[in-house]
Amino acid sequence: MNEKKLLIALAGNANVGKSVIFNYLTGLHQHIGNWPGKTVERAEGTLRFRGYTIDIVDLPGIYSLSTYSLEELVSRKYIAVERPDIVINVVDASVLERNLFFTLQLMELETPMVIALNQMDIAKGKGIQIDSAALETMLEVPVIPTVAVKGVGIDKLLEKAIEAVEKGSNEKPPQVMYGEEVEKRLGVLVKKMKGIQFVYPPRYVAIKLLEGDKEIDQEFGRIAPDVVSVAKKLAGEIERLHGHGCSTVMTSERYEAAGCIARATQKLVPPIKPTSEERLHDLTTHKVTGYAILIFSLLAIFYSIFTFGDFTSGLLSDLLYGLEPFFTGAFGTGIIGALVWGGIMEGLIAGITIVLPYIVPFYIILFFLENSGYLSRIAFLMDNVMHKMGLHGKAFIPMMLGFGCNVPACLGCRIMETKREKLLAAFVTTLVPCAACTVIILGLVGRFLGLQWALAIYLFDLVIIFALGRLAFKVVPGESTALIMEMHTYRWPHAKTILQQTWFRVAEFIKIAFPLIIVGSFALKLADVSGALENVAAVLSPITVVWLGLPAITGVTLIFGVLRKELSLVMLGALLGTTNFALVLSPVQMVVFTLVAMLYIPCIATIAALVKDFGWKKSLFITGFEIAFAILVGGIAFRLLTLLT
Amino acid sequence: MKRENSKKNEVALTALRKGEAGTVSSVRAGQGIGRVFKKRLLDMGLTPGTKVTVVKSAPFHGPIEINVRGSRLAVGRGMAGRIFVEKEKK
Repeated sequence: MNEKKLLIALAGNANVGKSVIFNYLTGLHQHIGNWPGKTVERAEGTLRFRGYTIDIVDLPGIYSLSTYSLEELVSRKYIAVERPDIVINVVDASVLERNLFFTLQLMELETPMVIALNQMDIAKGKGIQIDSAALETMLEVPVIPTVAVKGVGIDKLLEKAIEAVEKGSNEKPPQVMYGEEVEKRLGVLVKKMKGIQFVYPPRYVAIKLLEGDKEIDQEFGRIAPDVVSVAKKLAGEIERLHGHGCSTVMTSERYEAAGCIARATQKLVPPIKPTSEERLHDLTTHKVTGYAILIFSLLAIFYSIFTFGDFTSGLLSDLLYGLEPFFTGAFGTGIIGALVWGGIMEGLIAGITIVLPYIVPFYIILFFLENSGYLSRIAFLMDNVMHKMGLHGKAFIPMMLGFGCNVPACLGCRIMETKREKLLAAFVTTLVPCAACTVIILGLVGRFLGLQWALAIYLFDLVIIFALGRLAFKVVPGESTALIMEMHTYRWPHAKTILQQTWFRVAEFIKIAFPLIIVGSFALKLADVSGALENVAAVLSPITVVWLGLPAITGVTLIFGVLRKELSLVMLGALLGTTNFALVLSPVQMVVFTLVAMLYIPCIATIAALVKDFGWKKSLFITGFEIAFAILVGGIAFRLLTLLT
Repeated sequence: MKRENSKKNEVALTALRKGEAGTVSSVRAGQGIGRVFKKRLLDMGLTPGTKVTVVKSAPFHGPIEINVRGSRLAVGRGMAGRIFVEKEKK
């Protein structure tokens, strides 16, 4: 055999260093997409090692293998159906018990596995010593201590994984022994299942049937409804015996087993003085210092990104516009030249000058905050505010991203748990003024009316976000959810992982946004050179001139804003022949124009991001709603402000 | 949901002050999404009989930070009000 192939899956809790191991192993040979039809991310990569071509799939970070979240369902199905040659279970040595709870469930799936006992350094810092050899003996699974951020133990992990596959033992891993009442009934069920072929192993099915697992109830019910009904009866018996639901009983017993193993293999010598990580945690979640640090960090982040972005964006655009003579030289100044330069190239430039200066630094900072653990502290502090919009603290994170760019922010809503929350968070996020909106707000209102007016518009937008978020929360059916989140120990993030994560996000952004920006830019230029834009201005004038009180030409520029919002201002300057807007717009018109431009539509790339995760229908609904809403607000503002002045 | 308690000392987790501990007696969640969150809490280790220590309450009625099985969790106040514990005597 020439080509030896292996399929390895990485599984484990969130924040255990799984992605660090994944990035260490696969480097830049990875691909991030979605699980088919799901808003759950799927990261895959390849590497060559000891003559093997190894495909690695990084499963989502989860705490259990029930079907209460999409992530859990996806992971469980993947392991059972795709049958990876081996699963590497990444375990956080500093929270051994809870991680073993997951390990035991993987073992119930009867998948071949090895354990990476990761974050040994953090465990040590917390005064936890783990006897990995004893753990290996108890679990009968190879255990390799690792410190992924330093690359310690990773090669050995891979070797052990390959060794385990090559040995190909058919022995079942040892199983959690539940209490007598449960075991007896599991036995009954397994016996009844004899001869029935199913994707999951019989004991696993029996366990899940007793726990009342929805997916397995349904799927197995189609094959053997009698077994399911027996299971329901048995589960009822256990509930009566214990006074708790059967699922609660079994989870408790599984945790008890995990606790036993953890106690037998770890020694605790808590440090006498609180560690610096602990003190940092206290400071960043404190009712005074916590918020002070939060506000300061956010201001510092935005200030530095906008300063850096503005500078680099200008530099890049000067540089790229310097190419124009070459293009006009090659394609002439006729229609073709205009289409090539003004259509394709300007679209490309528009994309480049937003990605490099704004999105790259934004992602780097975001991943730094996430990997260090600060994002979960932010969610902790902001939970209360977000609850007013039917969301919980974690939703603050995509909103924060939205100030940079709505596209990654909408994609970032995947971190929310339920479909409803993902949609609500994405809706709220599209209303957040992104960097491009900031250009309009500062460039028009800020420059000509004063900074206080620009701030007022920002505040007004925040009020609108809050009000519409609350409205959406009341209108969209479903229950409000709660924050249940782990706050892992602070740690210094792994630089290479941050850069790799940033790189893949940026690549995703380019893939989603660039084709649309370029095609859109081309289409607009085509409309422009064919003279269709003037008709558009005429058609839109009842709205722009009569209702909003703006010059007719704004109808055209607002359409350009669909590509990239600040283009609506840039185009306005171009079409009016001056960037001294005070000459051509009244103060009221400036405010109205800014309000409309800020609210009226998510840009084309944001719409694409919405479509990717929520489908056409919901995306078009959000888009339509926001256009109508912006026009409504703009018209009201026009009338009110005219009255006042 | 009634909050009358048959056992002595049984209180909602929200009634514990900073530094106080208790043993989980039940998580009372209704139907629908409440069940999902109950399951999530169980999966995070809040099974009956488990010791829980309140580390901190976020300001302005925010979430509660607890220590359970050696890990640190933030639980929204609404959900924390549905977790009942037997308060440990000092």
